[in-house]
Amino acid sequence: MKGFLTCIALLVFFGYGYAQTKLPGIDKSPMDISFYPVNYPLLKIQEKITEPLLARVIFSRPQKNGRTIFGELIEYGKVWRLGANEASEIEFYQNVKINNVRVKKGRYTLYAIPEITKWIIILNRETDTWGSFKYDEKKDIVRMELPVIKQTEIAESFVMIFEKSTNGFQLIMAWDDTMVSLPVTL
Amino acid sequence: MLLLRLFSAYLFLWTFLVACKQQVNTQDKAIILDSLSSNEKNVFASGDQSPMDMSYFPPGYPLQKMSGKDSSVSPIARIIYSRPHKKGRQIFGDDEQSLCRYGKEWRLGANEATEIEFFREAVVAGTKIPKGRYVLYCIPYEDHWTIIFNNNLNTWGLHMDSTKDVFKTVIPTMVLSPSLEDFTIVFLPASNGSDLLMAWDNVKAILPISF
Repeated sequence: MKGFLTCIALLVFFGYGYAQTKLPGIDKSPMDISFYPVNYPLLKIQEKITEPLLARVIFSRPQKNGRTIFGELIEYGKVWRLGANEASEIEFYQNVKINNVRVKKGRYTLYAIPEITKWIIILNRETDTWGSFKYDEKKDIVRMELPVIKQTEIAESFVMIFEKSTNGFQLIMAWDDTMVSLPVTL
Repeated sequence: MLLLRLFSAYLFLWTFLVACKQQVNTQDKAIILDSLSSNEKNVFASGDQSPMDMSYFPPGYPLQKMSGKDSSVSPIARIIYSRPHKKGRQIFGDDEQSLCRYGKEWRLGANEATEIEFFREAVVAGTKIPKGRYVLYCIPYEDHWTIIFNNNLNTWGLHMDSTKDVFKTVIPTMVLSPSLEDFTIVFLPASNGSDLLMAWDNVKAILPISF
């Protein structure tokens, strides 16, 4: 009986493994999406939209898992894809301004160069790319240096979220005890 | 002996009832979490119950690009969707217990509506679909699915605006074995384009797309 059960268990195990190799399993650093206005899709079905869709960001969410993130997992001074897997993608639905540079509506890739007290955020026009391995400075649209804000509450998963500001909105990026906020003006 | 039998019958019934109750609870919870997860998305919230994923055509396009294979070639298509888990639930069926009921529209995922983007004109079931983005959803039946392309972008997947449907086609369903815990959509290479494979539990369906 025990042998029979082991056989079944093995069959199930390998059968499962087979299916998993053929089709992609759930990613360790799952993807997520944020909109501005915040929760735009939900507001849409609730008929509560007061302003048009201005931006959305698609990113992957690696987890801290007890590791020290900045300065160890993510080295200071090196270009980081702001997430995991595919490079993070931001899309503007109308022309905006970042660091006083006019950014046309469309899709862009976001990168960061984290330092101890500041990050450089980079908007680059090479989209649909993986990681920061193919990062090409020549394709930068704009860079902006931003101060690091230390948080007492730890963000276990990397996150990006939009927030309203007086003359536009900001993109908040947070992981571990670190937070950076990118102002976008209209 | 009789007592023992009565006791085990009672135990069986009790387990059954508890199991039923739990199933209802998880369904309720799923609905609540569905709206909560995006209504009150706070900066420190951890990952979504039904994580998002993305599939490109050609398959693995961003990785291919990184490995240096002609980076001037643009992607052809991509799909962004969320991946709910089966978690022991009945997925496709005719009764109220089923998560995706026959004849009712389903967002082909979870959370936000599923989005497909063609970076060039595509042909689906003999019809030209202009390049651009569409919401993709489905009406499942036992032996076929109606697949619908819709123009109401960036919406939550619970109320599809059928006035913005642009194209419908019917594809047969097939039995999937072994069954699949997590809903999956993936572009597979095919002779003159791609097969968009959609699979969950013990059901799979293929939408052939040529470019």
